[in-house]
Amino acid sequence: MFDFTELAHSVAEGEVSKAGDLTRQALDSGIAAKEILDKGLLPAMEIVGNSFEKGEIYLPELLMAGDAMKASIELLRPELATKGTAYTGKYAIGTVQGDLHDIGKNIVILMLEGNGWEVTDLGIDVAPEQFCDVVKSGDFDILGLSALLTFTMPKMADTISALKEAGLRSKIKVMVGGAPVTPAFANQIGADAYARDAVEAVAIAKSLL
Amino acid sequence: MKSLTNLERMLKTIRREEPDAIPTFEIDIDERVIEAIKPGASYEDFCEYMDLDAVCYHETRTDQYEVIDKAKGLVRDQWGAIKQYSAVSMSVPVTIEPAIKSKEDLTTYVSPDPDRPSRFKRLEEAVKRFKGKRAIIATVRPFATVKDSLRDQNELFKDMVRDPDMVDSLNQIVRDYYRRYVKNLIDIGVDIIMETADWAFTHGPMVSPKYTERFIIPVFREIVEYCHSRGVPCLKHTDGNIWEIFDMIVETGVDGVHPIDPLAGMDLGEAKAKYGDRICLLGNVDCGNLLSWGTKEEVREAVKDCIRKAGKGGGYICMSSNSIHGAVNPENYAEMVRAIREYGRYPLSLD
Repeated sequence: MFDFTELAHSVAEGEVSKAGDLTRQALDSGIAAKEILDKGLLPAMEIVGNSFEKGEIYLPELLMAGDAMKASIELLRPELATKGTAYTGKYAIGTVQGDLHDIGKNIVILMLEGNGWEVTDLGIDVAPEQFCDVVKSGDFDILGLSALLTFTMPKMADTISALKEAGLRSKIKVMVGGAPVTPAFANQIGADAYARDAVEAVAIAKSLL
Repeated sequence: MKSLTNLERMLKTIRREEPDAIPTFEIDIDERVIEAIKPGASYEDFCEYMDLDAVCYHETRTDQYEVIDKAKGLVRDQWGAIKQYSAVSMSVPVTIEPAIKSKEDLTTYVSPDPDRPSRFKRLEEAVKRFKGKRAIIATVRPFATVKDSLRDQNELFKDMVRDPDMVDSLNQIVRDYYRRYVKNLIDIGVDIIMETADWAFTHGPMVSPKYTERFIIPVFREIVEYCHSRGVPCLKHTDGNIWEIFDMIVETGVDGVHPIDPLAGMDLGEAKAKYGDRICLLGNVDCGNLLSWGTKEEVREAVKDCIRKAGKGGGYICMSSNSIHGAVNPENYAEMVRAIREYGRYPLSLD
């Protein structure tokens, strides 16, 4: 019988090759990709998220766990795609115009993907009109806006205004985050939610669905 | 008390003695703010106009980037990393491609020359103009060099877990460079060295205390010890919540820590109570929200609050929580300096 706990721990502890080997073993023994995702990877990301939030692990360990998760999920992806396995939701995320920082955004992506979200990474320095184009053309549930610099925060407000002007605001929930961003600022610019870190982002994203 | 020179005020404060007044300076002041307050002024003219107690010089300013593609804002820094400016954040280019992408790159890597005369030109002019009057500060950033120029930061963090030797090799590059560079700075006449690499995020240190001790502290400790051997104080800046590594930082012998980041929940009063007998504290006036969007009255209250928490007996330099960046309201910055002058005179009388 396949040991999902061992897989979860190998991912949580960032053991990249072991996570890949165990995933392959599970697939070879006929376990469905969706079951491996639900019983192996989701618990792993819960362990990682809790440990990160409690300050038991830091960025190096989180990034290694992310690599291990990617190694596993890459093996599951073909079957997940074929069977049209449902994602938790669809999330588009980008760093706002003028801001070229991506580490916070990338951690959020890692945690969202690990929790079953289909995430589209729009990259850095994303203009309000680019965000609008993405919202218009896709069926996303949530748009995440990230900023590290105080002087790029107004671009979050500009992006929300652009969504309103394009008649798209009601189509999507908007979450904001980043070091200088506060709940008060999120409220002031009309965002739907603020998340202080990646773990909170996952919980809040789910509550917005 | 006889009025001190700006330099004397800074040094006395860093020694945690009570000066005539609380000093102020900034690590960086955006030219848009300078232009709004004193049109046409150079950085140096502005520091004199505002009577700031120190002038601060950065490597990236004294040794300009090589432009690769002006239209795209692409430059190459002295370490070989390709960086990009954006239209909005004109003062902070971000690394697009690091200098070292693999272990093989290490074998052929050539470090920049810490003795190159051109990099000291602006500092030499500052020494001529300010020596003995205002404190001349030069910044260095070994960990940021490793993280933002030599290596992709995500790869660096992962190297700490999977390939510690790689991190040691990268650290050796910056150790060799800064050993020589700091010596040159002090030879020229710099009064204070300030290490300005961020070591923490809003929620805590970037890496565990164990990795901070293993990979970040040693190069920094060497700089502190070298500065002290030359009779020069050494200050540390890092954004973020540093409670978990604060002891470690103080134990290096560093003379002061900036900015006790309010956005990361750091409390200046608590820092004063815990470390005020061992280090000078700097900063804490919120430049993220308050100086950008607050009212003048709120700025005055924040300055009073900082002075109330950390000013007693000296050992506090009142300044922003990072820098006077482009989104700071110039009127708020001017108000902050006015309030420091008004409420920062010893004996303190805040109410």
